[in-house]
Amino acid sequence: MQFRLEKRAEPSRFMLYATPVGAVILTMIVGAIIFSLIGYDGIGAVREVFLTPLTNAYKWQDLGIKAAPLIIIGTGLSIAYRANVWNIGAEGQFVVGALAGTWVALATYTMSGPWILPLMILAGVVGGALYAAIPALLKTRLNVNEILTSLMLTYASIQLIYYLIRTVWKDPMGIGFPQTRRFAASAQLPTVIPHTIVHLGVPIAIVVALVAWFIMSRSVFGYRMRVVGAAPHAARYGGFSENKTIWLAMLVSGGLAGLAGVLEVAGPFQRMVPGFATGYGFTAIIVAFLGRLNPLGVIFAGIVLAITFVGGEVAQTTIKLPDAATGIFQAMVLFFLLAGDILVRYRIRRVVTTPAGAA
Amino acid sequence: MEMLIPIIVTLVGAATPILIAALGELVAEKSGVLNLGVEGMMLVGAIAGFVAQFYTGNPYLALLCGAFAGAAVSLIFAFLTLSLSANQTATGLALTIFGTGLSALAGAPYSAKPIALMAPLFPDMLARDPFWRVLFGYSFPVYFSFFMVAAIWWFLKRTRTGLILRAVGENDHSAHSIGYSVVGVRYAAVVFGGAMAGIAGACFPLLLTPQWAESMTAGRGWIAVALVVFASWRPLRLLAGAYLFGLVMTMELYAKAGGGVLAIIPSELWAALPYLATIAVLVLISLRRDASTNAPACLGKPFMPAN
Repeated sequence: MQFRLEKRAEPSRFMLYATPVGAVILTMIVGAIIFSLIGYDGIGAVREVFLTPLTNAYKWQDLGIKAAPLIIIGTGLSIAYRANVWNIGAEGQFVVGALAGTWVALATYTMSGPWILPLMILAGVVGGALYAAIPALLKTRLNVNEILTSLMLTYASIQLIYYLIRTVWKDPMGIGFPQTRRFAASAQLPTVIPHTIVHLGVPIAIVVALVAWFIMSRSVFGYRMRVVGAAPHAARYGGFSENKTIWLAMLVSGGLAGLAGVLEVAGPFQRMVPGFATGYGFTAIIVAFLGRLNPLGVIFAGIVLAITFVGGEVAQTTIKLPDAATGIFQAMVLFFLLAGDILVRYRIRRVVTTPAGAA
Repeated sequence: MEMLIPIIVTLVGAATPILIAALGELVAEKSGVLNLGVEGMMLVGAIAGFVAQFYTGNPYLALLCGAFAGAAVSLIFAFLTLSLSANQTATGLALTIFGTGLSALAGAPYSAKPIALMAPLFPDMLARDPFWRVLFGYSFPVYFSFFMVAAIWWFLKRTRTGLILRAVGENDHSAHSIGYSVVGVRYAAVVFGGAMAGIAGACFPLLLTPQWAESMTAGRGWIAVALVVFASWRPLRLLAGAYLFGLVMTMELYAKAGGGVLAIIPSELWAALPYLATIAVLVLISLRRDASTNAPACLGKPFMPAN
């Protein structure tokens, strides 16, 4: 008896949404086995990483503030990847957005007023979009691969943080620490639920994803993105300029990454520090895929990945699981998801073995 | 001239791992597979090489372990993209995320534990004179990288197997229809690329900084991917490109050590320079008329033979 892959006439919608769930479940099972084999408490690791953040109500606020940047960045990336524009430098755009917001916060340090925060957010979006404009320009004008340029700019952006907080933005009261001063009250993101750390970024993330979903499914812009990605020839025939699509995809994904960056620096951090870039921009790539490049899916995927972050921290203290385990679980989710993709396009048929049976 | 010798030695050390990783990626890409997991495979090779050197003190065994580890994780990529025709870009990214996590997990118990650097290949006697040191003062991977440039050039240009590999990368369906196993050739090319990336990763603790540090390859794997584009998929140009980058990184090291005029530029800019230089060379190469014409025609496209 053998199995054979048979191409489906239409991609299976059931499989499209079932495979992300299957990928997470498989990650839990295989993860437990692998971590047991290398000498950790495998079942404990999976329980702490995937379940404790859900069952322990004290962890819900952590989930919210970790999911928010993932959802915002993941939404932007899902739009870009739909159009086949491979922006993988969201981490850099996140950083530059945060730096732009920090600049406004420091420039208005002695002032106060409700206009400061909106101005910071605007600066963050513009900063992220401008940083993404570099790969967009190079791609559209010179056909330079955007994967490599956007990633290289991420490495450069981290050096930009180090430079700014070591020199011009250094906290005069910081006893030599390379970091900015703490933002003034008007430049801090307010919390939305009293007595928690849940800040304004959490509802903003949900709104961003919902608006993006509406635009992607109901507008010409969304149609353009989907057509250019799925059928570039048809798109050209239909009059959608490829270059304009690249620009839109880059600016939207960069702008949203910048938004996430400014919310992060004005919310949880309230100052710029050397360790600001913690990898949300990279994890959001997994979020975009796990959410099936659909903003509604991204909300769920963002929460799932936030669970692994929060759970990874829990497991560090409770069962001494190293921090790096979180990254392995996250990569496994993406591996299983990509492996499962074949079930969307093909169906597995059992065939009776013939001498020339196809593999 | 005397002054230049330590600079040249540093330059060679910086260029070697990038060159080895890029050569592996070149072979994979020539077969039509774009593996963006080089950085992850290098990190896995780095920790495997480190651990082997830590326990055995045999750097050749360490390089071999690095090669095996890199090849092993490349099999995950190969299985997903070649057997299950998963998206190569996404799978490559996943491999880098996985390799970063796996190496950090495996390396956690070894931070701040020193190992011995790999000794030069030739006896001291040959390398005593400063001039001769430039030629004979390096350890094995340096000579290996030069040998591989020539070997891969010869393999791709002059051998039948090399021709088949290029055919698979240029026109997978034709190669399939005349009876070559497209998937088989690509598996071999990807695993070779993984082994080379693993060796390149092992060079970091064995040649450069004799300890384990998380993400110690610091984006060099991505620079290797960029170099393949820069080199228009030609091994000899890869050699030139890797040494160009070695030079940039050497200047960074000298600037950090407070080297005269170099110190005028802030150290952060020096640290960002290899990445900015990568963008600059990609721009330069794009201005050439033959820029993309030399890319393997099937690069990055999944192959699924009709049933």
